[in-house]
Amino acid sequence: MAERRLPKILAAVVKIKPGEARLALQLFAYFFLITAPYNVIKSLRDASYLEDLGPNFLPFAYASVMVVGLAVSLHARLQARLSRRGLLMGTLAVFVAFDLIFWLVFRERVHWGWWALVYWMWANVLIVVLNAQFWILVNDLFNPREAKRLIGLFGSGGILGGVAGGMLTGFAARWMKNPHDLLPISAVLLLAALVVVRSLFSGRPAADADVRRAPETHPAAPGKVGFWDCARSVNGSRYLILIAAVVLVTGIVSTLIDWQSKSIIYQAGRANLTSFFGFLNSGFLAFAFLFQLVLTSRFLDRFGIRLGLMIYPAVLLALSLGIAAAPAALWLAVGIKGSDKALSYSINQSARELLYIPVAPELKYRAKIFIDMFVNRFSKAIGGLVLLIVFSLAHVQLSNAASSPRLVTEASIASAAFIAAWIVLNVLLGRAYVREVRLQLAEKWERPDIVVSDRMDVETAKLIVDALESRSQSPTLFALHLYDLARRRKLTPEIKSLLVPPSESQAEYPSGAVPAVLESAEADEAALSTGLDTEIREIMALDSYQKLMGDYAESVLEGRGGSDTAKMELAKAIGLMDRSAPLAGRLEDFLADGSPAVFQFAAESAGRLKDRTFVPALVRRLADPKSRGDARAALEKYGESIVGTLSDFLADREESPELRGPIASLLAGIGTEEAAATLLDQMARGASGLEADIVDALDRIRSRHPGVAFPESAVRERLGRALDALGPVSAAADVLPVFRLLGLIYDHEDIFRAYQNLLKGTNDSVGYAVELLDQTVDPDLKGRLLPKLESLAPGSAVPERP
Amino acid sequence: MVIDKRERNSVVIFDIEGEIRRSDITDVTLHQLVKDELERGRKQILLNFEKVDFIDSFGVGEILASYISTHNLGGKLKLARISKKLYLIFQVTMLTKVLDIFDEEDLALRSFLKE
Repeated sequence: MAERRLPKILAAVVKIKPGEARLALQLFAYFFLITAPYNVIKSLRDASYLEDLGPNFLPFAYASVMVVGLAVSLHARLQARLSRRGLLMGTLAVFVAFDLIFWLVFRERVHWGWWALVYWMWANVLIVVLNAQFWILVNDLFNPREAKRLIGLFGSGGILGGVAGGMLTGFAARWMKNPHDLLPISAVLLLAALVVVRSLFSGRPAADADVRRAPETHPAAPGKVGFWDCARSVNGSRYLILIAAVVLVTGIVSTLIDWQSKSIIYQAGRANLTSFFGFLNSGFLAFAFLFQLVLTSRFLDRFGIRLGLMIYPAVLLALSLGIAAAPAALWLAVGIKGSDKALSYSINQSARELLYIPVAPELKYRAKIFIDMFVNRFSKAIGGLVLLIVFSLAHVQLSNAASSPRLVTEASIASAAFIAAWIVLNVLLGRAYVREVRLQLAEKWERPDIVVSDRMDVETAKLIVDALESRSQSPTLFALHLYDLARRRKLTPEIKSLLVPPSESQAEYPSGAVPAVLESAEADEAALSTGLDTEIREIMALDSYQKLMGDYAESVLEGRGGSDTAKMELAKAIGLMDRSAPLAGRLEDFLADGSPAVFQFAAESAGRLKDRTFVPALVRRLADPKSRGDARAALEKYGESIVGTLSDFLADREESPELRGPIASLLAGIGTEEAAATLLDQMARGASGLEADIVDALDRIRSRHPGVAFPESAVRERLGRALDALGPVSAAADVLPVFRLLGLIYDHEDIFRAYQNLLKGTNDSVGYAVELLDQTVDPDLKGRLLPKLESLAPGSAVPERP
Repeated sequence: MVIDKRERNSVVIFDIEGEIRRSDITDVTLHQLVKDELERGRKQILLNFEKVDFIDSFGVGEILASYISTHNLGGKLKLARISKKLYLIFQVTMLTKVLDIFDEEDLALRSFLKE
């Protein structure tokens, strides 16, 4: 009963989906059990250092983190060789052993002042390795949307661990004779973390259970994985360089703030520093915990990663400037340190970890360990150097530095300058993040109808089919088709061989002319399309020809030998004439013919002649499913000149939807600004029964002619109505009209890449699709659309075990 | 262009040789020759293109004008042994639907007899 109730409680706090509770709680526990000892060890580290060496020597401690580079190299090699489970469990076991060794060292009271520095370095390695490993696992398991939803929960586990560790340190330091006796407790917590990791991995099939994207049997980083290989991985990607730069500047600022706050507290003369820092850390982390659990996911969900990255530096900038103005204010020192801790462990860490998720796995793990373990720590060293430079510029002795309010002011000004650079980097990083998410989506979306029309020469294919069909139908029609193909330079040897009439029907060809056309030099497409073309046009322009063929047409139309084939021949031949030729006027008779085959050739000719008198007859045939394609193809050839006529038909509500619908599609085929305006006008008027046709037509224009502008207000108004009408979404196709409208006002490619990924329908594809939309569309639209889209994800990140 | 005239079975046969083109207009055109024969009451005319190397739209115009003149006077004008290229032109322009075209002179003459 309690197990069933737990997910409901969790669901009230975070947006958790069925099946995700167990994994989220395991990660919560894992993070808790590594951050609690981490905070014990860190508080002991700070206190031991300050008590044994004093704050004046802090820059050396900060600079000592260079040793973390060795840990990066070692970790990278182990990561490439070990399974994820082996790596995580082995690392925890090693840290438990070292934890106990240090406990023994401090317990035996070895009198060597620099033990504090050695312990400091070990603590740093523990902190960065355990933290990086946890987030690597998160990257293994989630896509950006899942991570955004759940990061508030398992991230708060880490902060709660920090609170618990800090509280433990605070109380124990008061009650214990030797605060280092806390080390065995931290060892026990690390052992408990090991058990959680074991349970997290156990019971799942080897290929899937460990991690979905980095199964146990396949180490994450193939090939060379030394320190420099990891560094090169970062150097090869602008996005990763930006992450590294942000981490570097964050670390420098954090170091400056740490020194400022510690100096102010030291100047204030606090006694029992271990206890003070323990309680202080706990207080900060308690705030961070609440922020993380309640606000982080909601904030990231509502405002996105880009704004999430800005909160932390903005607050620090304000407080740094405050300290610069009032360098002795203890509340400002506590405030800036508290903000640093609370925000860095909550929203900033969450946003930063989400940045890695869209990175390709082969890069991600190398880059992450380099950035998290080395750059992050190296930034502290740079921070130490910056402090030393500030001391030097201020002409303050190292031994007096911590007691100089003027130096605090100057350090604050320096940190404000770094924060400004950090904000700029965050802006660049936010843009780069959207590009990375886009890269994770499927290939560019292309409308199937446009792909067909772009990649296939439909008209030629149709002509070849017509030619094949006419071989047994009419030698004249066959010759007309061949001539047509030659004029289009499509009469290739392959097509010629395809079109040679079967031997049994060659007798129908007087003089053997048609086979000769296909075999002789005269049939060469260049010769046909140049010399013959001119001759044929000139012949057709002859008065004698027009008279002779006019009489023939008359007899055909009057029914004297006027078979459909004869009509088809004439209808096709008229297309070769000049628009002003007397015979061209007879085309109207063929356009009105009831036979779809006769209409087909008449429509083709009308499309060639582009005489506006034929337009109404062609439009009427749009309503006839058998003739619609031919009528449409012919009307498209008229282009923009008939938009006005088409607009009249589209606006006429007395015309049937069977006629008006194809007109919308036809306007899309014309694809000009005027055609788009006509469609938008009809959309605004609420063309009943034609909404889908009009939206589809507008989308087609947008796909084909990106330069055509669409008035945003009209589209937004329609979009609002479409969203209002949108019920529960059970398939991606349900939202296609909405996406088509979105594509009119946002980057069409982004919108349809997202749609394509929704169609794919996996957790990750839906996750990345929604994430891209989250970064692209306005908050108002996001709020109405994204929750419905997320329901398309088939299930949780990792299914719960029965 | 050289045009020789002969008769077989009361059919006037014009043997045309060379090129029939606008730039090569002779004093007496094919149409004029046909009209002369029509005026003489000869209403069965066969144009033999066996030795015609080239014919342009002007030449086709001459044939069509000759055909119309003959037709208007109730006569018959037929064509024989035209080149494959000219046949293709006639097919594309649909003149094969109007003109009587034969592969061989004898076939054409027999068709006159039948009528």
